[in-house]
Amino acid sequence: MPTEHIKVDALVVGGGIAGMQTALDLGDQGYQVALVERQSSIGGKMIDLSKVFPTLDCCSCITTPKMSATAHHDNINLLTYSEIESINRNGNGFTVQVTKKPRYVREDDCTGCRSCELVCPLEVSEDEHEFGRTSHRIVYVPFSTAVPQKAVVDIDNCIFCGKCIQACPSDAIDFTQQPEPVEIETRSIVLATGFETTPIDAKKEYGAGKLRNVISGMMMERLLAPTGPYGRVLRPSDGKMPASIAYVQCAGSRDQTLGVTYCSRVCCMYAIKQAMLLSGALPLAEITIYYMDIRTFGKGYEQFYQNAKAMGVEFLKGKVARITEDADQNPIVRVELIDEFGKTRVTERQHDLVVLSVGLLPGGNPQAKFGVPVGEDGFIQVPDYNVFPAVTSQPGIFVTGTALGPMDIVDSIMMAGAAASATASYLESSNGSGKEAQSQPERSVEYA
Amino acid sequence: MPEENVNKQAQAGQNPKDEEPRIGVYVCNCGGNIGDVVKCDMVAQTLGKLPNVTVAHSNMFMCSDPGQKMIADDIKEKGINRVVIGACSIFLHEQTFRRTLERAGLNPYLYYHVGLREQVSWVHHGTPKEATEKSIRMMAAGIAKARNMKPLEPVRLPAHRHALVIGGGVAGLRSALDLARRGLQVTLVEKSHYLGGRMAQWERVFPTNEEARPLLKRLIDQVLAEPNITIHTGAQVAGAKGYVGNYTVTIRQQPRGVRGTFPNEQGVMDVCPIKQRCEFNYGLSTRKAIYRPYKECVPEGLVIDWEHCTKCGECVQVAPEGMINLEEEAHEFTVEVGAVVLATGFQPYEPFYGEMGWKEYPEVITLPQLHRLLDDEGPSDGKFYWNGHPVRNVALIHCVGSRQVEGVHRAQMDGEVNNYCSRVCCTASLSMASLIRQKAPDAKIYEIYEDIRAYGRWHEDYYTRASKNNVTFLRYYAEEIPEVRRADEKAENPLLVKVRDHLTWGEEIEIPVDLVVLSVGMMPNPVQDLMEIFKVTPGSDRFLLEVHPKLRPVETAVNGVVLAGTAQGPMNIQESCAAASAAAAKVSALIEQAKVELEPYVAHVDPDQCQGSGECVKVCPQEEAIELKTFSENGRTFQRAVVTPANCNGCGVCVSVCPNRALDVQGWRLDEYEAMVEAIAADIPAWEGAA
Amino acid sequence: MSTETENRSAKILLLATLSGGYRGADMVGQGHMDYPPNTYILPVMSAAIFPPKFYIDAFNKGFDAITVMYSGTDSPYKGESEKTAEIINETYGKMKELNLDPRRLRLAAICTVCVRPFLEEVQRAEKLLEEIGSVPRPLTKPQAVPAQPAGTQGGIFHAN
Repeated sequence: MPTEHIKVDALVVGGGIAGMQTALDLGDQGYQVALVERQSSIGGKMIDLSKVFPTLDCCSCITTPKMSATAHHDNINLLTYSEIESINRNGNGFTVQVTKKPRYVREDDCTGCRSCELVCPLEVSEDEHEFGRTSHRIVYVPFSTAVPQKAVVDIDNCIFCGKCIQACPSDAIDFTQQPEPVEIETRSIVLATGFETTPIDAKKEYGAGKLRNVISGMMMERLLAPTGPYGRVLRPSDGKMPASIAYVQCAGSRDQTLGVTYCSRVCCMYAIKQAMLLSGALPLAEITIYYMDIRTFGKGYEQFYQNAKAMGVEFLKGKVARITEDADQNPIVRVELIDEFGKTRVTERQHDLVVLSVGLLPGGNPQAKFGVPVGEDGFIQVPDYNVFPAVTSQPGIFVTGTALGPMDIVDSIMMAGAAASATASYLESSNGSGKEAQSQPERSVEYA
Repeated sequence: MPEENVNKQAQAGQNPKDEEPRIGVYVCNCGGNIGDVVKCDMVAQTLGKLPNVTVAHSNMFMCSDPGQKMIADDIKEKGINRVVIGACSIFLHEQTFRRTLERAGLNPYLYYHVGLREQVSWVHHGTPKEATEKSIRMMAAGIAKARNMKPLEPVRLPAHRHALVIGGGVAGLRSALDLARRGLQVTLVEKSHYLGGRMAQWERVFPTNEEARPLLKRLIDQVLAEPNITIHTGAQVAGAKGYVGNYTVTIRQQPRGVRGTFPNEQGVMDVCPIKQRCEFNYGLSTRKAIYRPYKECVPEGLVIDWEHCTKCGECVQVAPEGMINLEEEAHEFTVEVGAVVLATGFQPYEPFYGEMGWKEYPEVITLPQLHRLLDDEGPSDGKFYWNGHPVRNVALIHCVGSRQVEGVHRAQMDGEVNNYCSRVCCTASLSMASLIRQKAPDAKIYEIYEDIRAYGRWHEDYYTRASKNNVTFLRYYAEEIPEVRRADEKAENPLLVKVRDHLTWGEEIEIPVDLVVLSVGMMPNPVQDLMEIFKVTPGSDRFLLEVHPKLRPVETAVNGVVLAGTAQGPMNIQESCAAASAAAAKVSALIEQAKVELEPYVAHVDPDQCQGSGECVKVCPQEEAIELKTFSENGRTFQRAVVTPANCNGCGVCVSVCPNRALDVQGWRLDEYEAMVEAIAADIPAWEGAA
Repeated sequence: MSTETENRSAKILLLATLSGGYRGADMVGQGHMDYPPNTYILPVMSAAIFPPKFYIDAFNKGFDAITVMYSGTDSPYKGESEKTAEIINETYGKMKELNLDPRRLRLAAICTVCVRPFLEEVQRAEKLLEEIGSVPRPLTKPQAVPAQPAGTQGGIFHAN
């Protein structure tokens, strides 16, 4: 198969909010951009969220237009379901080998009508998007607002019954599809490789993922989202509406035993946000947040926290030592509490549902693939963190979003702008081979 | 009509009279957000019966790619030439759908958006039938407007590839550098006579522990090396005229009084008889009326404090001839710029007299003062001494001027308390605790806090280190403000801090200390004048307001005016630099092409109706937006109103006063409103479930 | 009350500026707060474009109360708020001539986050209509109101 060649000014790796915004900020400045995303749709983690803090905007509603704008931008070439294989320096630029994984559906022909999905006889229950809580057919469109809106075949589970081929109105199904190599020639690279959340089974004291009514914050996002699995909040073990819900903060952050000493920065706010949404969805439910420090530091965040307190969400300072369950699978939280009189006591409290405010871990392995150094925490390390946070030690390679460390959406958006600016500066400089090195004209500095 | 003719009329902004409106109507279910209350299918079905409605669909997510594709396909295949969409808020998706129309080859303004979610389904959840009927009526109004809509073209203006950055602190410098490297001209104005802003006053910065001034100096050197940047210190914006792409900004520059540098600067300062509080050291030391704030400051020369200089002439006598001119006058000049970056920064919260002992006891200082105190170039050469004695016991009280509670804390002049978190003070205090430990290995250090917000990368390390360094932590609640009072005379330490500690037994603890450090929060610099000049607004926390706190954090509601750094809210150095860089990216995208496009919502005169009454010219509040011009035709001369679109902001004041109905704001015409009002009130087709 | 008004429910027109009341109304929606559905919100760029005749026509066409939710002093348009207030005052004069209760027309400054003021305005209008009922149509001085303003396509929908 002949290799497809793409020539661009900047390659953005990762199609989450930081990657999309960087691509948009570069594209808007007139640069040609290629955006490579591993998943079958762009949108990253943000599209999985229910609402965003502190505005409580519906997340899908504000992410979808960004996804759409990215996909439709004249200067952005979008490659989804694609993996970066190798990167080689080539003069002042890079040659990047990318593999487009086979969807077994011809992208150009698929209209996203889902006729294939309707006739597919098999279901698997490992829909990444729904966090294992619902199932999808073998051939499926990833989710309702996916961009691109194209089906993909889960080839490992497919029995090749051929029903989808018959059903497809545009003859788009193609089981003979092979991985397609794409060669991208680029002058710069922006890493927006994002984050993963702490696995639910990471901490054995919290049930190691075996307690059915102990779920992660991301699962709760899906339960709360209008596009989520049940359309309402039910607990996993018996489908009961929980009357008492507890949040365990720092479940995966600020925890020596897990080797994660840092604060994940978003968990306080997402827990508070979920608590507020839950008090709307389940007005009678009691919601408790067990915390060490409440870190509502961003613009409007403290006010958001105070609102949650006023709404009756209970905040208890104390470290949760252990979670077990009773015979009815109700989680029991053992916690060292500091009560309002300052007394420390160890107590056990029963809840219907416990949400672990899991932390953020570095996504992917940027060091191995891109040769950029990472810090002890595994996130990309840059030489001048304070003043040039987007500039890595590799000339022409930049970093944005949570690849640089945990951050929330607004900080990712800021970093995206910063990465776009840093990339533009580089592209216009002689190193970026944008122009010949100019002789420095006389300075026109005028002091008072 | 021949096609050629149609095109000509379309280009002239006219609706071809015989082009029959073919309206596509789309009702979004919004994944149940609308559909759970409003019967979207029924709304679409009913609207399909109205005249000129060619297609009417409902869809789960109109904003999704398949939703947009449906519209595009209808335009291409069914000849739809007007689109009405009922979905979420107009502020979320109007632009999305405009672009959909554009991509499908239809003028993007032949589109009307009805807010069915925020203004119907979410507020009428208890009355689904009525909500459905209301949706039909609101959509019918949109359809009535659509029948009359005309294609519009954006106003295209040339733009100066030149940006004005206001503020020479780290954010302003960082924005200027990015803009210049992108190839734009930059004018940077700084109110004070030196670059660097607040960052120059820090001793060091977290989380890298770098010394602040060398780090700043490296940035300033890069800025100075950029040929595209012109810097004016001692300069303030006095006024501005114009609009995005084309601002004429008047800058007023105070004289420096001193030309360049010379060897005997210290001697010159020594002879000055005037002593003033040194702002750079936050009042911990004094300076003369001719002074320089710190050793490596840029520009490096001396400057005269005109407010306090008595023009006694002592300095002139000592300085080399011609170096000092006490008669120098302020001057004004203008710059033409396409966009403006507001990097106007913050000021530390100033406690009230007596607030935790502030000003009442000399042993109470603020965190910025502590930075100066521990600075090797500071007033005590970096020794941790106070009043000539080593400090052995020190308490740092967090959240002073931040996270305030109404009724507990004293409000600012505007009647509001600072209910926000200032974001940097926790880690700044912890990093200072580390530095104190280095300078005073045996000192007792207390951090009195509400929550430790060491949220950023490597911030937590300071917290861990403080614990290892035997820093004592005490936790108070906002409602129980720690009390600072004078110890009795014989006591070893001059002050007592009383705090109810919620980490131990909730007891009241009294700590004897030599020094109390108030970890004060951030407040925006007062920039009322700039807000008026550039029409930007503050939020309830008084910081400048962004368009959207989540997705558009550096843009303001005014196109062409963006925010960088702490003007927008509390931030640390890294965050300020990222924000400043992001602001530069927005400005580059806006003016880099040397042209900007504006919405076409400006006044439009119908020359057939205009009788030249001049009423519009009389009431127009804008300068040079509408005027009467004399025309002659067939030997007859007459006057007609003429609009200059770039100067018209579409306020519409002229529309209501025109006696001949010759004026309209394009896109929001009076006849469209009349049709909409009529459509809402009119009978609607019967629909299933209506009875 | 005449039979003509009995079978139609009272209608309230809310003209809300995009820089003020319209966003305020969105904010009310985001808070999922409830108010009666006989309220019809139209977005306006500037409230100053409407001459008195527009309001009289709207009463005649079927609205029983109108609230102009403008941006007041927050208006992005210089002169908009003054002009709007002037027009509303002028309209009161014309309403008087037609025997229309002036309380049916209100000018209120509603900001982008004015949730409570928005709801209060709606409640005020609802209460007023409970008290004084719909506009008795046709208005008592019909010659003051031309049947059809230029440029509209009236009477398009008929239920059958």
